[in-house]
Amino acid sequence: MYRTLRLCASGGGFEAIPDPPRPLDLARVRASLEAALVPVVDARVMLIAAVGPEVTIARSGRLLFKTRDPAAADRAFNLLRPILDRAATPPGA
Amino acid sequence: MARGVMLMSGGIDSPVAMHYLLRQGHELLAVHMDNRPFTDDTPLEKVVDHLTVLRRQYGQPIPLYVVPHGTTQTTLMRETDRHVGCVLCRRFMWRSAERIAEREGASFLVTGEALGQVASQTLSNMRSATASVRLPIVRPLVGLDKQEIEAVAKSIGTYGISTRPGVCCQAVPSKPATRSNLVQILREEERIDVDQIVEDCVRRALVL
Repeated sequence: MYRTLRLCASGGGFEAIPDPPRPLDLARVRASLEAALVPVVDARVMLIAAVGPEVTIARSGRLLFKTRDPAAADRAFNLLRPILDRAATPPGA
Repeated sequence: MARGVMLMSGGIDSPVAMHYLLRQGHELLAVHMDNRPFTDDTPLEKVVDHLTVLRRQYGQPIPLYVVPHGTTQTTLMRETDRHVGCVLCRRFMWRSAERIAEREGASFLVTGEALGQVASQTLSNMRSATASVRLPIVRPLVGLDKQEIEAVAKSIGTYGISTRPGVCCQAVPSKPATRSNLVQILREEERIDVDQIVEDCVRRALVL
């Protein structure tokens, strides 16, 4: 569901947006991250996970990697992608 | 001259507002509400660099209080209506600044707010936000437009710092309220322990 990482509008990090749009079940994402021993802050409408760089995971599925290093963002993205794919809300749900 | 507490965000406006008051000879302390993990390290780095420029220019020590604000944001996001999140957030910033002002013997608060630049800068939102404090609030930039503020920022050497890349506040709701109602705001705050939150944040503040 995610294709590419791109520099965010303020240039401070990289973002990934699901295409087509698919909201996430954040409770499932949180459980999966915690099972993988990833520290998570749960702000109900978003999670913040420390996967190398910190990543904001919005309910809409938008990800923001707080690093300006594209390689670090890419590594974190590859780590997160399978967890998020499993936790995506099924289409039509 | 009077002693005041200035809220500094790392943006373009706050160092310009500070410059105007320092130029008049007022003594200022700075407060930065540290929004991590809803931002990255760059806002704090920018504030530190802004103050380096202004301290050098005006020969004032300008102590910086760094107040942790991330846990407050988490509480607001979990417990209150997201629509008015920016107003609630501002109310906690003002309260922390006022608490520090009381501790430091300061008699007024200062902000770089101007009208209408962002969603939270409407008159009704400013009224709702500032109803949380008793000290007078000075807004040296309120009647200036963005171009005027940017021109001053360039002339005092803070513009380049403010415009470095950084992560925007992730706690801003997708549709923030532009007209808030104080009764609704107070109702939202009944869901949380306001005094305890402010006390915890100010107690954990670092002075740089």
